[in-house]
Amino acid sequence: MKILVVEDELKMADYLGRGLTEQGYTVDQAHNGIDGQHLALQCDYDVIVLDVMLPGLDGFSLLRSLRAVKDTPVIMLTARERIEDRVQGLREGADDYLVKPFSFLELVARLQALTRRGRAQERMYESSHLRVGDLHIDMLSRKVVRDGLRIDLTAKEFALLSVLARRSGEVLSKTVIAELVWDMNFDSNTNVVEVAIKRLRAKIDGPYAKNLLHTVRGMGYVLEERHESVAIERVT
Amino acid sequence: MIPTRSIALRLGALFAAAALGVFALIGIALHRVFDHAIEAHQFEELDTKFRDIEYFIKRVRTPEQWAHIHEKLDALTPPDGSTRYWIWSDDPDVQYGASRAEIASISGGRSDGDAGRGQAIIERHEAPMVTRNEYFPADANHPALRFMVGIDSTPFLRTEREFEQALIAWSTLGVILVAVLGYWAARFGLLPLQRISREAQQIGVTHLSQRLDTKRLPRELSDLGLSFNGALDRLEGAYQKLEAFNADVTHELRTPLANLIGQTQVALSRERTAGELEETLQSNLEELERLRSIISDMLFLARADQGEKAMSLAPASLAEEVHKTVEFLDLITDEAGVTVRVEGDASAPVERSLLRRAITNLLHNAIRHTQSRDEIVVRLSETEADAQIAISNPGPAIPREHIGRIFDRFYRIDSARPNSGENHGLGLSIVKAVASMHAGTVFASSDNGMTTVGFTVARATAASR
Repeated sequence: MKILVVEDELKMADYLGRGLTEQGYTVDQAHNGIDGQHLALQCDYDVIVLDVMLPGLDGFSLLRSLRAVKDTPVIMLTARERIEDRVQGLREGADDYLVKPFSFLELVARLQALTRRGRAQERMYESSHLRVGDLHIDMLSRKVVRDGLRIDLTAKEFALLSVLARRSGEVLSKTVIAELVWDMNFDSNTNVVEVAIKRLRAKIDGPYAKNLLHTVRGMGYVLEERHESVAIERVT
Repeated sequence: MIPTRSIALRLGALFAAAALGVFALIGIALHRVFDHAIEAHQFEELDTKFRDIEYFIKRVRTPEQWAHIHEKLDALTPPDGSTRYWIWSDDPDVQYGASRAEIASISGGRSDGDAGRGQAIIERHEAPMVTRNEYFPADANHPALRFMVGIDSTPFLRTEREFEQALIAWSTLGVILVAVLGYWAARFGLLPLQRISREAQQIGVTHLSQRLDTKRLPRELSDLGLSFNGALDRLEGAYQKLEAFNADVTHELRTPLANLIGQTQVALSRERTAGELEETLQSNLEELERLRSIISDMLFLARADQGEKAMSLAPASLAEEVHKTVEFLDLITDEAGVTVRVEGDASAPVERSLLRRAITNLLHNAIRHTQSRDEIVVRLSETEADAQIAISNPGPAIPREHIGRIFDRFYRIDSARPNSGENHGLGLSIVKAVASMHAGTVFASSDNGMTTVGFTVARATAASR
């Protein structure tokens, strides 16, 4: 999976490159519009991350010249949260749009949605049976079983668990969880998600030795089976 | 230099125009009166001369006496010809004066048996003569004759011309005087304006509380002064709000920044294990998220301030949206031990996520101020123009000076700010912004142990655009 990042802010370009490489992408970088345009036109990328304000050639112009030739998916980045920017970006053919400061997790989620990898995962999402460690979730009968014992969950707890289970291994931010479970797509500044996680955790992890639902401080929550070695390494 | 649009100059010009009109009217009237007087005077003189000779003509008994009359007429005719006499008759002895040929034209009383006044234009004579003639039919003593006296009108015309010239000269002088005096009077009358201007010039950002002294202003200007002071009041209020806002923003941003800098420095000052560094990074991330949340909320508010309207409006049942939000906050109400009841319904075109955000903030705010086992009531109602959401919760009354300001940014009723990471004091400002993005307003009241806070959204499509 090949990504082109066109971003003139070096610090941002650097961490995007590192982070996306670690996520398993092959990352090419350009630090100005001219180089970005050259790379975008010459090579084939699965997706392009494009800053709006660029030296040499701005993001909109680059996007226009790209769209004249091919349909590579593009995510625009901008520091200005102006409707005109959004409208212009989408009219010129951008596929998605992020306003700085954005969360890295959010960028990864959007990239996945735009690439085939995302689509492959969607199929997994639709499967009727999920398993994380010794936790089994039957999506059709809405039954949750861990270590052979049935766990009773409320409707919202079940929804929360299935969102986490479908994206097992992926850190989900509070905002993403609020959107997927409650259809609230804004920063609510409430601790609804914390409380919900606390309650869910009490039910699915409480009595068991091994925790499956983990908090990643400052980022969000992840449901995954962690191996002891990892846990020990983290503690020390 | 006098500015071209000076009021004093304009008033001076207006006074001058008025004076010109008045003087012209008076001048014309005076001229008429004078004309009449001169004419009457001319006729009087003419009549006197006419009657003198008429007396002799009527007393003629013998033809010899005509020679005597001719002598008398000769004597009465001055050498400059300013008075002339004519007698026309078929009898050459009676005939006196130059022949008719000398008279270029004559008007008034020319046919036989007719008498009257008129003018005779004499060759080589600059002004016409004013004349009176009369026809004397033949009788026993004399044949039929016509007698005419003419006096020269030149002196009268000269007097008239002199009078005209004096009139024009004095009127012009008068107009100029009025203009100059008017200009000075206007300048003097407008002195209070210059004072206002001087006072206004002294008002700057550092002297925002200074006001114009309206007591010393004349009645005509005191309204202007009061309006100006009113505008200053509003500006000062807005400016102070802005200053307080800036101070608040700085404060809100400074705390997480101080944490970030401090804990990063502490972490870097010694060798740390990976675990410790990870811990620091996680803590940093929490602070950064807080900063991001404040900044994005402020950007949101700034966009609303700039008049941005809700985009993708879709008709929605507000009750449905409130129920969704109540469901979202279910765990929090549960933990707080309060219940939420929804009454009524309303429909309006809204941008769903914005509306939910506003309702969430309002409900969350209500939950935080409600005691356990109490009930929060959400009332929905609609009128032709707008839909209203009012959220009431039992609780101690909020003092009047606070209730009007709860929608202000970072406003907290207890000024010692509790720095909870979750609530940075923009929640209700966002409600206000959402309301204004839907062409609505916010309201708040607190009495009888019940606090009600809410907002409206426009239902009319024209207002919601």
